[in-house]
Amino acid sequence: MPNPLPDWLSPPPGIKRPEFCTERDVLAALAADDAGPAELAALLSPAADALLEPMAQRAQALTVRHFGRTITLYVPLYLSNYCSSGCVYCGFASDRTTPRSCLSEADASQEMDKLKQMGFEEVLLLTGERTPKADFEYLERCVAMAATRFHQVTVEAFPMGVDEYQRLSQAGCAGITLYQETYDPEQYERLHRWGPKRDYAARLEAPEHALQAGMRTVGIGALLGLSEPVMEATRLLQHARHLRSRYWRSGISISFPRVRPEAGGFKAPFPVDDTFLAKLIFAFRICLRDMHLVLSTRESPQFRDGMAGVGISKMSIGSRTTVGGYVEDRAKSAPGGQFEVSDQRDITTFCNMLCTHHLQPLFKNWDAAYRDAPPRAAAAFTVCS
Amino acid sequence: MDTDHLELKGHRFTSRLIMGTGKFADTPTMCEAIKASGTQLVTVALRRFNPDLPGDDLLGPLLALPGVTLMPNTSGARDAREAIRAAHIARDLSGSPFIKVEIHPNPHHLMPDAIETYEACKVLAAEGFVVMPYMPPDPVLAKRLEDVGCASVMPLGSAIGSGHGLAAAELLRLILRDSGIPVIVDAGLRAPSEAAAAMEMGCAAVLINSAVAAAANPPAMAAAFAQAVQAGRAARHAGLMPRSEMAVATSPLTSFLGAAQ
Repeated sequence: MPNPLPDWLSPPPGIKRPEFCTERDVLAALAADDAGPAELAALLSPAADALLEPMAQRAQALTVRHFGRTITLYVPLYLSNYCSSGCVYCGFASDRTTPRSCLSEADASQEMDKLKQMGFEEVLLLTGERTPKADFEYLERCVAMAATRFHQVTVEAFPMGVDEYQRLSQAGCAGITLYQETYDPEQYERLHRWGPKRDYAARLEAPEHALQAGMRTVGIGALLGLSEPVMEATRLLQHARHLRSRYWRSGISISFPRVRPEAGGFKAPFPVDDTFLAKLIFAFRICLRDMHLVLSTRESPQFRDGMAGVGISKMSIGSRTTVGGYVEDRAKSAPGGQFEVSDQRDITTFCNMLCTHHLQPLFKNWDAAYRDAPPRAAAAFTVCS
Repeated sequence: MDTDHLELKGHRFTSRLIMGTGKFADTPTMCEAIKASGTQLVTVALRRFNPDLPGDDLLGPLLALPGVTLMPNTSGARDAREAIRAAHIARDLSGSPFIKVEIHPNPHHLMPDAIETYEACKVLAAEGFVVMPYMPPDPVLAKRLEDVGCASVMPLGSAIGSGHGLAAAELLRLILRDSGIPVIVDAGLRAPSEAAAAMEMGCAAVLINSAVAAAANPPAMAAAFAQAVQAGRAARHAGLMPRSEMAVATSPLTSFLGAAQ
């Protein structure tokens, strides 16, 4: 039986279906001070197709206003591809024949050194679902190792409770990313065939656990292509607004992953083309003016070049979706990745592109000082000289 | 006007335009804008210090600019303890006694946390920093920050990056009326005319970042702000005509009464 949706994810009342939205609705959404689900529906409607250029211009202006002419860069490091779940769309699902590996702590250390040499200061550590090879304690040790090298360490792994997120935070983790994949509970149940990831509610609650544990950033997203995209977008927006209002000391970011080819040959039931994805990103920037919108190397160079700074404020580059893969010797023997990387440009080429678009790549946009500040003592600030 | 200095705890500046360094498309443009502004005081976020990767570092290029004093800031700190930690590291790396205390726990709207700002300023001022707090336009908080030894207060004109100008003008006037330390408008200005208006109101200086970084020609906009700040300061010194709700005729209608007597 699929899990019922929480109240904050229920369909908002009084919203027009996209096919009934008019150009006037789209223009009103473009001019709205606080665009919400109703405006999102208009911006994603067929009527918005004729207004794509004004949407892009509005998205760019709002992006420059909050983030300036900059793009924050990060890099993923896959620690393990062992997985206990059967997600039908994932190259690391437990029924795939992909060879399995998990970086030893010595190997992980070498990979981190290599990423540091490449200039990165924000690293995203990834694993599959919780397994004996890559369990919580392993991840915690890897976070602590990374925190000695990088100013910002974030994690994309399995859902956890508040206690485990607190431990990760104490080890040096500044934030987590956890995609709901699809917000449609019935489709979720169909696509997640076995394993712990079948639990829709546990996944939906995990970002809140991280925020309750004091994480600074939480990234959310839907894997576009799995379900009807306007419904997904509406619920993703509701999720972001819910987290923003409840956890006001933390930053929420949104990613826009699309289903990519993987070893199992999964075909997206609701494919999203470039034009719709661009429209979706413009619409999210208009609705969420001050959140990081993230685009990974899943997307093509041409698409990423066009979206940089036009809604998108944060990007990965030089990514490997294999376990490790940045240290040359290990890259040659690395098994297949979670999905095919589309933008395979090196860092220099990508940064040169950003410069030609009058955008400054930011490798370091944070400081470990904030992570390493001593805990607040009870009477630390109570005496006035 | 030659002796008209901005004085901050014994440090004197002839320019009353302070520049921010975030949001620029590239570092050379940022440096050109700073030069064009004629500023002598520049703020830079500790999170943009990156000695490991010179191409990504703002501290090195700023230290190389002649005639510019650095004022590191704690942008990114969520509370007082983080800001204090950042201030210590920034002083060690930059060698500057100045610290702009920026504590905005909400990374979306970036509004300053009055309580944590006060706590951090109290500690840092006692430690001898030249403390310049970014703050909400709150006249009570301004006096509390003056009492704990801040070198200035830096209330926002409107939200960071918003370009809504002096939306908080009424509150800024209350702060200006009673402040015994320089009041510097920080954040929200879009046009040089707004900087001139802030100076005409009696502000000691203005801090500009987004309005220059997001301009089509940042160095030219920086120069325009410099002129506006000078014009606003000169107008303040020249003595602005009082406002009146009633018309005041240049040829009074009642002058004949005096003549009759």
